[in-house]
Amino acid sequence: MDLVIENLPLENGNDLLQQIGADNARSVLQYLETPADLARISAVSRFWRHFVAENQCSRGLCIKLFPEVSRFVCAFEIGQQVNFEGASLSKVTEWKNIEREHRVYTQLARDLMEPATENNCIQHPISASSTDIFPDESIMYTLHPSAIEDDRPSYWSSQGESNSDVPETLTYRLSSRLCVVHEVKIHPFQAYFQMGLPIYSAKAVRIRLGRTRSSTLLTSGMLDGMMSADRSASEDYVWTYISPEFPMQQEDKLQTFRLPKPVLCIGGILQIELLGRVQRQEMDGLYYICVCHARVVGRPLPAAYDFEALDQEEKYILKYSDRLECCGSLSEDLSRGSSEEYEAGGSSGWLSLSERIRRIRAGRVLLWNQSILKALLGNIVAAILMIPDDEDSDGDDDILRD
Amino acid sequence: MAEDPTAAMAKECKVRLKISDDTIFEVEYAVAMQSQMLKNALSDTGTDGTVPLHNISSEIMAKVVEYCAYHVNAANTISEKDVKIWDQEFLKDLDQATLFNLIMATQYMVIHNLQDLICQTVADRIKDKSAEEVREIFNIQNDLTPEEEEEIRHENQWAFEEEGWPEIQEEVRLEG
Repeated sequence: MDLVIENLPLENGNDLLQQIGADNARSVLQYLETPADLARISAVSRFWRHFVAENQCSRGLCIKLFPEVSRFVCAFEIGQQVNFEGASLSKVTEWKNIEREHRVYTQLARDLMEPATENNCIQHPISASSTDIFPDESIMYTLHPSAIEDDRPSYWSSQGESNSDVPETLTYRLSSRLCVVHEVKIHPFQAYFQMGLPIYSAKAVRIRLGRTRSSTLLTSGMLDGMMSADRSASEDYVWTYISPEFPMQQEDKLQTFRLPKPVLCIGGILQIELLGRVQRQEMDGLYYICVCHARVVGRPLPAAYDFEALDQEEKYILKYSDRLECCGSLSEDLSRGSSEEYEAGGSSGWLSLSERIRRIRAGRVLLWNQSILKALLGNIVAAILMIPDDEDSDGDDDILRD
Repeated sequence: MAEDPTAAMAKECKVRLKISDDTIFEVEYAVAMQSQMLKNALSDTGTDGTVPLHNISSEIMAKVVEYCAYHVNAANTISEKDVKIWDQEFLKDLDQATLFNLIMATQYMVIHNLQDLICQTVADRIKDKSAEEVREIFNIQNDLTPEEEEEIRHENQWAFEEEGWPEIQEEVRLEG
């Protein structure tokens, strides 16, 4: 190895960063902390532009802050031609692929580092592990902040247990499939109508983030069924993050459980685990857990992002469509219900989409088939769902008829 | 119980390092052991001879020895916080050329914590700097064509806005 031994004369025009070698240069770049710094380094010279992209510096920055990003084995832009074929991949094509991936991760780094913007990222509840009186005490009521709504109590209650160690879970769908979660707030319920004003909190709380295992589209008809059923098993979820346990206070107030650092939820599913019971109901002597309100503070990633799960467990492909980024206001308008087709309640078009499917095939489980949906629902929704233009859409009616 | 022979050596042995201008640096064994490369070299040959390091200058060697000696001493006696402060001071006013020579020497001698420290320091010097400032610091020629530069800045406009990109654009236009 050639070492530089004398003091380098600064006027010789050599790139000092190149001279310290690739390993050291990579180390230096790893210590940069913002996507803006990496972007400016890319503008310094042709060598630096290539070096930053080839060494996946933006991906490295994302992973440094959000280790979950390492689950993405690759990233690409929707609508762009990505060439992986053939051993004789030309240099130009190879560079274009690298550059595209670099752009996606650079944009991702920017979006991940934004502060929490949503005070409640919950789109709707999916299920509770048990419910005492359905539907009066269903998980739906945890969406309302107060303990009283329309002159009646508003809370979820578990079933009673004689063993105080039996846990419960509340599972929610977040407002986007990729969502940064900063903290979860839970307000345990104080039974103001019972003697002694008991507060049915849990001993501790744990948060799980992940996705549904199957690609089944949950229709709202199914949701009612799930919410009323006892679901003590771990359900069909893949958890990509499990938080530490946070102690919960037996206090009638909204308590904050802040994750040690913000976490990217890949899959849009959040589960609150309520560990241990502390309050018996005088009437039957059983332990219950009741929650008045739950909310998730974080930042849903823009609609431009999506992912696909690979067959290997825990590995994903990240997809990004900058078409949607530009048209952000369009999808936002639609999801805010400016079009009469979409319910005002949903924070994205998801609920209304499921409603439409339900009307089309009442009560049946539909496999998530993009070409079917595109054929059924038209191009506007297809754009929101980022279905590539060149996908085969021969209207596979056979599958619907199953 | 017999004293650990390594500890005994650490107290008494000196290691001789012969550098580029044939000067000899004598350092304590413990200090020399901060370098993986020396550690390996000495485990084979013992400490009697002189280790040649012809490719390192005396200025650089002095800095390396200073760092290693401080860290050997600091290991159990000085708080982590104070060590960090010392580390920052140690590299603070070094010019670019010295910094780079130091990084090469450290890499050769395999002193991981010093290597990381220097990389961190270099990174600190480029944080929040404009592309032009980075070029000045590291003596880099701008070989991007105006079209390429325009493309990069346009794609990453958000990163260059703080630089007063509109003003730079104005300058470029004026220069034709």
